[in-house]
Amino acid sequence: MSAFSRLAADWPGTDAPLRVLAASGQLGLGIPKAAFDAGIARAPHVIAADMGSIDPGPHYLGSGKMAAAPSMVRRDLAMVLRAARDLDVPLLIGSSGTAGAAPHLAEVAALLRSVAAELGLAFRLATIAADMPRDMVQAAEHANRLAPIGPITAQIAPSTHIVGQMGQRAFATALAAGADVILAGRACDTAPFAVVPVLLGYPKGPAVHMAKILECTSLCCEPGGRDAMLATLSGDGFSLESMNPSRAATPLSVAAHALYEQADPTRVFEPEGHVDLSAARYTAIDARCVHVSGAVWHDSAQPSVKVEAARPVGHRVAILAGVADPGFIAASSEILAAVCDLVAEMIPQTQDAPWTLQFRRYGIDGVLDWPTPPTTTPREVFLFGECIAPDLETARAVAAAARQHLLHWGFDGRLCTGGNLAFPITPPELDAGPAYAFSLYHIMQLDTWDALDALFPVTLHDIEKDRP
Amino acid sequence: MMILSDLARVIRSKNAGPTLLTVDVLFADAPGFARGVAALTVAAVARCYARRPEDVRIIAVPSAHAVKIVLPRSVPAGAPGDRDAYGAQQHTPLLDLIV
Repeated sequence: MSAFSRLAADWPGTDAPLRVLAASGQLGLGIPKAAFDAGIARAPHVIAADMGSIDPGPHYLGSGKMAAAPSMVRRDLAMVLRAARDLDVPLLIGSSGTAGAAPHLAEVAALLRSVAAELGLAFRLATIAADMPRDMVQAAEHANRLAPIGPITAQIAPSTHIVGQMGQRAFATALAAGADVILAGRACDTAPFAVVPVLLGYPKGPAVHMAKILECTSLCCEPGGRDAMLATLSGDGFSLESMNPSRAATPLSVAAHALYEQADPTRVFEPEGHVDLSAARYTAIDARCVHVSGAVWHDSAQPSVKVEAARPVGHRVAILAGVADPGFIAASSEILAAVCDLVAEMIPQTQDAPWTLQFRRYGIDGVLDWPTPPTTTPREVFLFGECIAPDLETARAVAAAARQHLLHWGFDGRLCTGGNLAFPITPPELDAGPAYAFSLYHIMQLDTWDALDALFPVTLHDIEKDRP
Repeated sequence: MMILSDLARVIRSKNAGPTLLTVDVLFADAPGFARGVAALTVAAVARCYARRPEDVRIIAVPSAHAVKIVLPRSVPAGAPGDRDAYGAQQHTPLLDLIV
């Protein structure tokens, strides 16, 4: 009997408290142990974690690499796997390996198998792929069934990986197939936290609202942090408590967190519908626990899937240099433009071999494209040059030429004829590897729920003792 | 004269997906929220960021004493030339807004 069937068979009803432990919002970047152990001591019925996001940028999706170090992923997997098997409760992990494409899922699955072998554990694992068939996405584009979210142009053919965000249905399929442990490819953040409560009959509005807050663990607290967070569902609401006693969930801190990373503060859109938070109520249970109710779920009439992709845009070389000379700083805008023009004359940008060179001046306009210049001239400025070219050789050539001409550029009133730049390291050009850009962040419309389910195939693996 | 960074308890920015930027301004209480809402007009925010008013969306959330601002990113997160992959430091043009 799987961990979930055992839970479902004995479950007394939705008045009973159902405890969901959020182990991590970024599994593989280090689960704080004390709070996780405190959560396990509360005997949760479900352990869930999120492992990915689109937030770290296009590199991980484009390259197929994880943001987390494999050794840390093993550590975190060992913690959650041992606890889940000890308690015999479902373990659900979403967006495996940062971006949740095939190579990410395969790498995390291999690490999980090796951890299981080391711990001598036997269980049924389900992996759920989230890779979208390229021809299907192209057909959707031609049929006007692929709509961008915000300003982005679809570029399907050059994309290295295309993923879709799975919802609760894919996790439910895996649980029905007897999975004890689920490793999902790209999944919407809430799904692994919400699915078990929903399958046990808890109302979907509060369950998804709970998941939306819980997927960031203790970030919803005062002060916020990454410690494990416990949600207890009962009836039509739920309570929240950080497993670190120094973090308090307050009505205001939790209500404010519902806004986080969302363009719409009252509606959270999911693959299978949306949850409306406009009638949500947050009440203090004590100084560090909050009770939440009032969220309402609305099924969507038409199935759809959020698709994400990244494509390579060339090779990146970075230039790092500091400046303290006030004359150079005052003239830096004109100097940088002149150097870029000079390099373009020496290394022609052709249609076949376009390259770009951009500078940010930290101290002036590095972080923000400010509408107005600073009121006082900064004492020091850090120059960051970013060159992207079709190949490493060209990117290096452009960066080295730009750096050298910048170093010795003459300008009116120049005193520093020994050189304009202070290099913190040499070589001052760093090979930053292949560069990527997002090439899809779109909603793809589908005809049927079966078509949606087919996009997220579940594969079962019986993990046996001593057989990694 | 009071500025937003003296009045608000939290002024934070973050990506809402790779194409949008969201800035949340959270106030301690209802009077602070009322004063903040009055200052955070589309015209004022557009001026702070040198953006067109039609690119600025402002949503007040009285239950959380919060104002949410949504702006399109000038380039998608992490694309060549992007200055802030997570969008976490794009709140600063609002700090000195007179409230």
